[in-house]
Amino acid sequence: MEKQSQTLSQRMFRALMRVLPFDFRTNYEGEMEGVFREQQREVKERGGALDALRLWRETIAGIFTMAPREHWQILQDDCRYALRMMRRNVWFTAIAVATLGLGIGANTAIFSVVHAVLLRPLPYTQAQQLIQVRQTEKKVGVDDLSFSVQEIADYRKQNRTLAGLVEYHSMSFTLFGHGEPERVRTGVVSANYFELFGVQPLLGRTLVAEDEKPGAPAVLLLSYEYWKNNFGADADIVGKTFEMNDKVHTVVGVLPPVPQYPDENDVYMATSACPFRSSPMHTENRDMRMMEVFGRLKPGVTVAQAGADMATIAAGLRAAYPKYYPGNVGYAAEASPLKEELTRTARPTLLLLLGAAAFVLLIACANVANLTLSRMARRERELAVRSALGAGRSRLLRQLFTESFLMAMASGLLGLLLAYGSLELLVDFAGRLTPRAREIHLDAGVLLFTLGVALGTSLIFGTLSAVFSRANLTSSLKEGSAGAAGSGRRQSRVSSVLIVGQVAFSFMLLIGAGLVVRSLIKMQHTDAGIVPQRVLAMRTTFNWSKYTDDAASKVVLQKLLERVKAEPGVVSAAVSSRYPFEPEAISDGPEAVSFTFAIDGRALEPGEAPPVSTYAAVSPDYFAALGIPLKAGRLLAETDREKAPLVAVINEAAKRKYWPNEEALGKRMSPDGGQHWGTIVGVVGDVREFGLNHAPVPEFYVPQAQNAQPATLIVRTVAEPRSMARALTRAVHDVDPQTAVTHVLTLEQARYESLASPRVTASLLGIFAGLALVIATAGIGGIMALMVSQRVREIGIRMSLGAAPARILQMVLSRGLLLCGLGIALGMVGAVALRDLVKSLLFEVPATDALTFAGVGLTLLAAAALASYLPARRAAGIDPNEALRAE
Amino acid sequence: MNKKRETESFLPLTPAMFHILLALADGEKHGYAILKEVARRTEDKVRLSAGTLYGNLARLESAGLIAESGKRPEVVLDDERRRYYLLTAFGRDVAVAEAERMEEALVQARVKKLFRKPKLA
Repeated sequence: MEKQSQTLSQRMFRALMRVLPFDFRTNYEGEMEGVFREQQREVKERGGALDALRLWRETIAGIFTMAPREHWQILQDDCRYALRMMRRNVWFTAIAVATLGLGIGANTAIFSVVHAVLLRPLPYTQAQQLIQVRQTEKKVGVDDLSFSVQEIADYRKQNRTLAGLVEYHSMSFTLFGHGEPERVRTGVVSANYFELFGVQPLLGRTLVAEDEKPGAPAVLLLSYEYWKNNFGADADIVGKTFEMNDKVHTVVGVLPPVPQYPDENDVYMATSACPFRSSPMHTENRDMRMMEVFGRLKPGVTVAQAGADMATIAAGLRAAYPKYYPGNVGYAAEASPLKEELTRTARPTLLLLLGAAAFVLLIACANVANLTLSRMARRERELAVRSALGAGRSRLLRQLFTESFLMAMASGLLGLLLAYGSLELLVDFAGRLTPRAREIHLDAGVLLFTLGVALGTSLIFGTLSAVFSRANLTSSLKEGSAGAAGSGRRQSRVSSVLIVGQVAFSFMLLIGAGLVVRSLIKMQHTDAGIVPQRVLAMRTTFNWSKYTDDAASKVVLQKLLERVKAEPGVVSAAVSSRYPFEPEAISDGPEAVSFTFAIDGRALEPGEAPPVSTYAAVSPDYFAALGIPLKAGRLLAETDREKAPLVAVINEAAKRKYWPNEEALGKRMSPDGGQHWGTIVGVVGDVREFGLNHAPVPEFYVPQAQNAQPATLIVRTVAEPRSMARALTRAVHDVDPQTAVTHVLTLEQARYESLASPRVTASLLGIFAGLALVIATAGIGGIMALMVSQRVREIGIRMSLGAAPARILQMVLSRGLLLCGLGIALGMVGAVALRDLVKSLLFEVPATDALTFAGVGLTLLAAAALASYLPARRAAGIDPNEALRAE
Repeated sequence: MNKKRETESFLPLTPAMFHILLALADGEKHGYAILKEVARRTEDKVRLSAGTLYGNLARLESAGLIAESGKRPEVVLDDERRRYYLLTAFGRDVAVAEAERMEEALVQARVKKLFRKPKLA
């Protein structure tokens, strides 16, 4: 019993000793235990239980107060020593820190985007409860039908899963009372819209129920950006009035800087203030759809449950209004998390880039590990001597880890600086993918990530050094230089593996970058079907309230065209509801301008989806202005007026899809279930309207004179089109000074801008791949140089036995190329395995494109040959006599 | 001059350190003996634990104030491997300097009439 308690307290004391540094324990553990035993004996003799407790308390407190000091002491010693070693090997340190810093910087930069966009919750209250509700007609390929006023009322009334349901749509209105007439992008929303999102106003208030009542005084809420950029962040803005849609609008508040979804708007108004939304045409027609719908889940409800709820409501509507929801379109409704909607386009690109950055870091790690190994070979003696002088093994390991830790921290700092420097560029890039870009910062989460990555890297190459030193500490002392030679061979084997890995990862990265760049080049050289040179587009937004009926707006558009065509330097001019590469058309996609129609004399099978196409309302010169060729029949003409028979011109894609084996000219179609019929009078060439990577879709061009639509002015000029912008704006204001002219863009600019996102992706991937190539090449060069210096004696022997310098050159070169070739083979396997990751970013280039694979392989081989050439020449120049004498 | 500066760089000593140096002033001792001596001399007011004792011994040793004695214990008396510590000449200098520092402080306290009866005199 006595014995047992003795050993128990002994064990406890020993366990307690574990908090002390290893060295200290080795030195004093036995003695301390002895002292403690004596103290215990003494206490027992006195026989006080309280005394025994007091002894334990004092012992524990004593050890815990002294332990940090001892650890700190050792850390200080190690750091001082490590810094001295780093100073002594300035080049090694600089190269290692720079290499790792680049890798960490790339990861930090991309992670800051991933963190802000994909990981952090949306900056709304209880954002996980926010959903978007969608109506779909899957059978005709419509994933996002908008909502009509009546549908919104139905979903609001009938749902059982939502705590709130709000609507949204965006329009452009002209705002007066603040300098020139200004076109403002206006979000038209339910009164409780911001309340539902949990957004508190920065100034004033948001919208309230009273604002939405019919006939309520019109009020405006300004977005943070609009307030800041257009009103200089005027603190007294609340209460100011502006004129819009012939009504006085009073500013009631300013929003905080939150991501605006679905669109970045300048101002917000209540639904009752929108002249379109509140018109009988919209309130009375179930299929006048233009709104989007968001909801907040009731507590405890999942998105799936809400989705099922919406589907049930949709089924009810199908049964109640078969006229509006015919069976053949597949009408349904669904719910998805708002966060998913906000990050849908960004996710695949960002994850790919994060993967690429991780590859770069891996390659950098392998390179530094190699550097460390070759330095370890030189430090072997130093470590062996220290070990012989009594430094314990774990003491040496601790020393090595301190060194790699310091190096990693320096690299982390460098990486952070690099990431900080590239932040602005990244925000700009991410802005093309998601409204969350403004949230990108180097915040605590990112700093933690960088610290973690730096620690991880220090662990990786610290462990490598440690493993290597463990293997060699004993042998190099015991066997002298013979042992060192043996370990040199092992080391070069480890190095070779690392080189092969580096090349493999570089190959994969280069393939990814190569494929994306090739896609970009293909896109750039794709024929869009128009002649974009010397064409200017300008959005002309009339003051809606002045042109309330179709006739008035047709007259003013006609006047506008006549006035513009009279301007010297104008070759042709047209108005159109949209134009190729229009930024908004690209982001909204063809669905936003699609309609279903019936073809005369062609009945649908039960359940068969009706034909669907996009459409544009254009004036006759549209085709001439853009250079769209006529393929059959005729173009639209001035005679296709309002009272004339309805006509349409289709593109070849529409002809191929709906009249593949027959004449399309003269056929009739109806967009409204047979109330009106239009005749096809011509076929024109296909245009890649929605981006160069978007195959042409069926398109109907209808006369603007028969279908008045908000218009963009399209002008083909003799000279550089931008130089005409001022004169053309003046011409527009001659016709009506209350017209806002915005979005002035040449078609070439629009075409260039449409490729911005793939271009940035390609550049980032290209930069990463370039880094990888440089790092891997340097790695090969370094290792070959090391190999040569380790084998000077062997090479000397070979030469003295008659090997020609050329033979030696070839030997070294072929070794470098062999390693590279192995890496390429492995990389090829990897690239084929990972091909699905990059597929979504490719355009007309297969993920296993032979040309790219061959090009990348040759590039790597050439780099390896170059990197091995210098060491190879050195080897060939070795003087055999000197080499043998030196040993 | 230089030596003085070196001794002064250790001042003031922590109470534990000073008592350890005091304990070694009249001859070399092993750890437990130091601990006992300090407790006895201060009437248990300064109680060293195993941790604080050896933490301080380590620091004093690495600073050269004390050193390990070559003397080994008689096996019969103790089967533990005990180490004996002795005060180095430098350690003695430091201890003297610390005592002088304290005395000076005492004198000043007396001048300011901060206590009536000089206890240490």
